[in-house]
Amino acid sequence: MEPRGHDLAADSSIEAGSFRDHDSRVFVTSDGVHRVLSRAALEDWDALAASALWHELQAEGRVVATQPAQLDALPDLLAAEAAGALHHERVPFISYPYEWPFAMLKDAALLQLELNLRALQAGLALKDASPYNIQWRGSAPIFIDVGSFERLRPTEPWAGYRQFCMLFLYPLMLQAYKDLPFHAVLRGSLDGIPPHDARAVLSGERFRRGVLANVLLHARLEARYGDAEGREVKREMQRAGFSKQLLEANFKKLLKVVRELEWKAGATAWTGYGKDNSYDEAAAGRKAQFVREAAARRRSRLSWDVGCNDGAYARIAAESADLVVAFDADHATVDALYRSLREEGRSDILTLVMSVTDPSPDLGWRGLERASLERRGTPELALCLAVVHHVCITGNVPVRELLDWLNSLDAALVIEFPDRSDPMVERLLGGKRDGSNPDYERATFERALEERFTVDRSEPVSETRTLYEARPRA
Amino acid sequence: MHVLAYLDPGTGSMLVQLLAGGFAAVAVAAKLYWRRLLSLLRIRRRPAEPDPES
Repeated sequence: MEPRGHDLAADSSIEAGSFRDHDSRVFVTSDGVHRVLSRAALEDWDALAASALWHELQAEGRVVATQPAQLDALPDLLAAEAAGALHHERVPFISYPYEWPFAMLKDAALLQLELNLRALQAGLALKDASPYNIQWRGSAPIFIDVGSFERLRPTEPWAGYRQFCMLFLYPLMLQAYKDLPFHAVLRGSLDGIPPHDARAVLSGERFRRGVLANVLLHARLEARYGDAEGREVKREMQRAGFSKQLLEANFKKLLKVVRELEWKAGATAWTGYGKDNSYDEAAAGRKAQFVREAAARRRSRLSWDVGCNDGAYARIAAESADLVVAFDADHATVDALYRSLREEGRSDILTLVMSVTDPSPDLGWRGLERASLERRGTPELALCLAVVHHVCITGNVPVRELLDWLNSLDAALVIEFPDRSDPMVERLLGGKRDGSNPDYERATFERALEERFTVDRSEPVSETRTLYEARPRA
Repeated sequence: MHVLAYLDPGTGSMLVQLLAGGFAAVAVAAKLYWRRLLSLLRIRRRPAEPDPES
């Protein structure tokens, strides 16, 4: 028998994260990103493409640039017969909600609701509500799942409401109302937080906006009527008069709830670090100059700023890169950086909450649905400034192993090494026994660096810190 | 005929949407066919919670 279709694990051209909607599937060819559509999805696309809304959204850049694709053959990727294909603009770097700071998840939620409301007015709807359908052009959210648009069935409730709560609203409420970071929960469950679990955490917040209806009532109705036959309930709700006006009222109410969610991040050890760190202005100037010269040796498609803090060096790297992915383990710092970049309308720096010692792994169906950090593209230049001591002393990663990892990226490197006598290093070692982390010495670091990289230049930036510019050994 | 949505909207999640619209939804909610809806909810109660009238 002829094998039918393509195996996900063997065929890297299939976008593994796009399997859930059986009417639409994303795949990548040398010509770019494509989406194959079923007959029903093609009809929905035709309705969308004919609408004024579609042209507005394309002009505004709110939805990924899309055209019908002329392909010689449609790949057999759907359960149903393939009927058409689209071509999409390529997003420069894919990121996931468990990597976004609060303000990014909130902006993504607002985009989702805005699209729902505008689609409703145009006689269209969105069949789901997943933050995985939203990606970023730097600090601007962009909706990528064109297959989510369908023709409106005005008497049906919003099918994506539960998903919206689980993946957008509850995570935002946890952060805003309980100061509880949502990243671990979203990384732990790709479907998000069910109403029952949200109620367990948020029941004490019943007087906060949106909690009573969207959390407590939702969890109660789900527990009580969750096993009722959905199709019958839907039919009865239609007969009872569920209407477009009610959909609109719900979207507007949710918009109001989300808009008012604010996370008041306390000052962490890192939020004032860029302004208030242990070296003086002259040292900072020398460091900026060193980074600028090293970054300018090439035009990078992608650069990383590992441990970006307030983003000062990510901004310098962005002068000679199409995109800088700036990540830091400190949520409050990344949130503040995102908000300032958004203010400036920057499209060349993507901010993510991520720890080098615990980066995003492969997750989901067959471990392919959501890709690890490195599987999404490695940089041409990596900045590792004021970060080695945190990884190697606080994180206890052996110095050689950190350099092995950096070497595996096959990227040019700018790395800063603070000596054991540096005040910050002394602080990090202060709680440990004397003689801890014996490999954390400049001589050991330099030897290990030279074994793996060609070191082009090094320069002291202060009495206790040295910068190195290096290339992987050919 | 429409294809079914790939997401199960969830019965409880559908019912919330009748009630969560706030003041803006009051006018709409007032026009709902409540009797039918309430009977639906009574019928749809879990079998584990037997109706005392039955």
